[in-house]
Amino acid sequence: MFASKRLSKELLKLQDKLPPGITLVKADNFEEWQMDIRVMDDNPLYKDEVYRLKFSFSQSYPIEAPEVTFLRTPTTPIPWHPHVYSNGIICLDLLDRQGWSPVHNVESICVSLQSMLTSNTKKERPPGDENFVRYNTQRPRDISFVFHDNQV
Amino acid sequence: MPPGNEYAAEQLKKQGNDHFNNGEYELAEQSYTFAIQKNSASPLIFTNRANARLKLKKWQEVIDDCIKSIELMQENMKGFFYLAQAQLAINHPNEALSSAIKAYDFCTESAQQTSNAATISAFVLKCKKAKWDIRERDRIRRRADLLSELELHMEKEYKASIEEIDAGVERGETGQIEGQEEKSRRKDEWEKKVGDLRTAFALSDPENLQKREVPDYLVDGITFEIMHDPVVTRNGRSYERATLIEHLKRSPIDPLTREPLTIGDLRPNISLKDACAEFMENNSGWVYDCEDGEHDADTRWAHLSSS
Repeated sequence: MFASKRLSKELLKLQDKLPPGITLVKADNFEEWQMDIRVMDDNPLYKDEVYRLKFSFSQSYPIEAPEVTFLRTPTTPIPWHPHVYSNGIICLDLLDRQGWSPVHNVESICVSLQSMLTSNTKKERPPGDENFVRYNTQRPRDISFVFHDNQV
Repeated sequence: MPPGNEYAAEQLKKQGNDHFNNGEYELAEQSYTFAIQKNSASPLIFTNRANARLKLKKWQEVIDDCIKSIELMQENMKGFFYLAQAQLAINHPNEALSSAIKAYDFCTESAQQTSNAATISAFVLKCKKAKWDIRERDRIRRRADLLSELELHMEKEYKASIEEIDAGVERGETGQIEGQEEKSRRKDEWEKKVGDLRTAFALSDPENLQKREVPDYLVDGITFEIMHDPVVTRNGRSYERATLIEHLKRSPIDPLTREPLTIGDLRPNISLKDACAEFMENNSGWVYDCEDGEHDADTRWAHLSSS
């Protein structure tokens, strides 16, 4: 019930000022937004690339986590990362039912994903990526990920 | 009461609830009225009829029903809440506010009704806004009166000076062209004066001087709204009671530290509450903007299901 009010406040802030490497692409309603992120250092895995994020909000946001996935477009690939499936689904504790906290917001999620990419050195997909991408029909929030390693 | 009447009333109330849920508010009102004829001692039938009458915008009748219901049952969250809505609708924000605060208190005192707290809390803010609006309208009207009086005076002076020039031209004391030039100079002068006066008034308006921003320490980290009933967690952070409880019902952990946290750990933060109230008192016209409250008539009271 607070979702649209809270999102309108977040939007005002996003339109005003954003951390480096994060841009607002689309926010026409309070159900789905798109953001672009870039990695700000020289990590060769992500150099010169822009990644698009799709945020889907439920009526219960921010009590409930938003659904966040990378979106493939002609100009934005899916970044390599052992926690990012090739269909854009992200396995990050902060977006998980248990790991989410209502004090997080769109901006803080973008910053977390930026730093998740920055600190990675492996050009890898999660184990079982091919099968997961082919057979998964669940929505990201309903998948219980096993967090394979916690250093990444 | 003849035996069986209580049962009949209960059946009629159920009928009314069905109508209500189907959006047939007039039929619902009628069923509740029949139910009351069978049993006029049930406070719940009165509040249900009040709710139907709210939908029908029969404000005075809503107020009557709520008062009857409250007479029958003092601790009456719904009664006070519907009463508050009707009072606000007939433009009595002071009464509405005190009814809404009673509803909120009953709501937070009872454990199972916390999900209504957010709805009522939003309504409390709306009443405060209405109160502030009335004060503000008076202030603006007084200011506007003074400004228009001064403008009128300046216009009179300007017109008099134009007439004087025209008269001078007619008497042949001033040349045609000279007169035109003088007139256009006077006109510029007058327009500039009016502009200056308006600027001066605008500058003296405190609203133009104050920075329109609620300080972070008065803002709930979950809704990003100014708080109305803040509670403090064990790590010293404060949140709006209703929203934090929504979160804790899902996951009993502190939103920041991720340590275990239960509803029982929360304490009211009274000084912060006062600070928020004072800020609202001075600024609420823009702090709480009803327009973005997305309160459409159907979802607004969805929390308060008829029972």
